[in-house]
Amino acid sequence: FADLADMSLSGDITVEGEITVPVGAPSPDEDFSTLDEPVRETIMRDLKAVGKKFVHVMYPKKSSTLLRDWDLWGPLVLCVSLALMLQGGSADSKEDGGPQFAEVFVIIWFGAVVITLNSKLLGGTISFFQSLCVLGYCVLPLTVAMLVCRLVLLAGAGTISFVVRLLVVLAMFAWSTLASTAFLADSQPPNRKALVVYPIFLFYFVISWMILTFTPQ
Amino acid sequence: RHPLATFFHLFFRGSAIVTYLFCDWFSNSFVACFVTILLLLSFDFWSVKNVTGRLLVGLRWRNQIDEDGKSHWVFEAKEVSTVAASSEVEAQIFWLGLIICPVIWTVFFFSTLFSLKLKWLALVIAGISLQTANLYGYIHCKLGGQKSISRTTSFV
Repeated sequence: FADLADMSLSGDITVEGEITVPVGAPSPDEDFSTLDEPVRETIMRDLKAVGKKFVHVMYPKKSSTLLRDWDLWGPLVLCVSLALMLQGGSADSKEDGGPQFAEVFVIIWFGAVVITLNSKLLGGTISFFQSLCVLGYCVLPLTVAMLVCRLVLLAGAGTISFVVRLLVVLAMFAWSTLASTAFLADSQPPNRKALVVYPIFLFYFVISWMILTFTPQ
Repeated sequence: RHPLATFFHLFFRGSAIVTYLFCDWFSNSFVACFVTILLLLSFDFWSVKNVTGRLLVGLRWRNQIDEDGKSHWVFEAKEVSTVAASSEVEAQIFWLGLIICPVIWTVFFFSTLFSLKLKWLALVIAGISLQTANLYGYIHCKLGGQKSISRTTSFV
């Protein structure tokens, strides 16, 4: 088979065409007889997918199956919990924490969208929602850091507590950045990895800054 | 044929709108209202996309990513040879609910913008995008018909 081994194709070949999906294809609900059963299965399937992704964030290894099955439930839950925990932490919080809550939301989602656009414009192969999914899920370590910081702050707000919080936030920030770059940087050509990693670094840095400078009133 | 699906189709969207309009009656806390409405909008998006469209009108749209990382938007339509009277009504309710709610959220967008209650803006924008996404997806399914209805979008 030596001849076949020489027949390698270099370069990109563009293939165009149309795919027709036959409309009479069996739709997914024909097997189900009751309404409740399929819905429960759909819910369980989605919940399991979300749980699997949380586990993957804590032990990041590159896995293409994880990326293919994206969802935004995890990022939503993490964003809401982080925003709830970050409430009332600024100097002039006489109101009920409304603007800060919306601010955290906007920062996280807008930041993730900007990073995704950046990586798309740099020629990345990952899709828009996949990238949002990964960035959102990798906020998990920082949410854990926020939880730890709030617990530490219950004990006191002195120098020791600050040092502990600093170390925890630094560790989780590094974890978040490494986890997300493990998934995202591979979709870029090698000479552009730094250009992609830097905004991610900045994004998690801003979130870590918000967490570290949180002091409850 | 699917009264529960019809109910839930309208329930989440309707409750989100009602909660937004009357949030001051329910609770003083902005955060509680924000989170409640956001959760209602998310549940509505998920149930309309995955359940009610499939059951009420036989349409489905989704995003599929194949092995080399390319993302495809797939729009499927079930061939309906006979349309029973009850499913006509359900289809009408489905489309009415699908169309009216994004319009209402757009009205909220302008009212929020001009009354300068900007802290609600993020929520209204989220509502508009979620509901418009479903509307766009289903219209695409409906118009796809018998022709090639699967296309590759290279950007998204």
